[in-house]
Amino acid sequence: MKDFCSSVSKLLEKYFDQEATGKEKLLVEGHLKDCPACQDALRSMEELRTLIKTPVEEAIQKEDFPWVWQKIERDFRLQEKPTWWQSLRSWLDVSPLFKKRVWIPAVATLVVLLFITAQIFFKKIPSYSGASVVEYVESETNNVMVYDLEKAKVTVIWLFEEPEEEVSPS
Amino acid sequence: MAIRGARGGSIPVMKRVVALIPLFSLLFLFFTSVAFAQVQVRLRAIHASDAASGVDPSLRDLHKELGSLFSFTSYRLMKDETLNLSLNQPAKISSREGRITLETTLVGLHRGVAEVRIRVAREGSEILNTQVRLFPGRTVLVGGPRHTRGGVVIYALHARF
Repeated sequence: MKDFCSSVSKLLEKYFDQEATGKEKLLVEGHLKDCPACQDALRSMEELRTLIKTPVEEAIQKEDFPWVWQKIERDFRLQEKPTWWQSLRSWLDVSPLFKKRVWIPAVATLVVLLFITAQIFFKKIPSYSGASVVEYVESETNNVMVYDLEKAKVTVIWLFEEPEEEVSPS
Repeated sequence: MAIRGARGGSIPVMKRVVALIPLFSLLFLFFTSVAFAQVQVRLRAIHASDAASGVDPSLRDLHKELGSLFSFTSYRLMKDETLNLSLNQPAKISSREGRITLETTLVGLHRGVAEVRIRVAREGSEILNTQVRLFPGRTVLVGGPRHTRGGVVIYALHARF
């Protein structure tokens, strides 16, 4: 009986803490009916718990922890403000883009830009054989001739400048 | 869907993407437009005269055209410059004696066409004012101003795209 009592007493703490399994619970409860020593041990545990629990609960009820909130608020205020560079880096942090589907509009925009750029870069240069090369030509002092040599793709603008007049001695 | 900011606040990612895309697009368009608003123009100043005979070896590509268009016996290269013309930014070249000045200004640039204004001045007085369209593979010759040592000056302009 004593051996059985000592083996149950090991389960008694577990039972008291409500951690015993169903089978263990049945075993302990069956034993407690016939064992005054174990009943005393269980009662002692309850008394001890009451002895510890009561003053702690009373103290908690009295305390509203205002100093804790004050400390948290002060910590928020004292938290160092980020520099403009840190703010910019935080703002330009694109790592979330790789996790989300926000890159879809970005890729779409890139494709549109590449399409426009390709139009500029790879468009065939049109032929200007029929277009006029000289838009206008003017000279207040001399005659001017314009001549197109289409085969050689050369345009000549010729200024007929008079030779310098020789000053004759009087 | 939010990112924690440095102060613990949240910045919606979509807002940032929407703000950044037009910004980058504008920057891209700005830089490409600036890059395209430039053209290289090769400008050669040639002294054509009857004082000697022969064609400068560096004018080999123009030899045939010069020979068929003009009756000078000598063509000598005085200057060979490649000008990077930007919109409305005039570029000047002067002859060694400083009497004749040629000023070129890019006034328009479209696909494969550079509109260039050319002004020729003698001793500061304008003697010719013209505007030409430079196409790929086309050469514009501006000639006629007298050279101090006899003969004339011919400017050959060729755009590179």
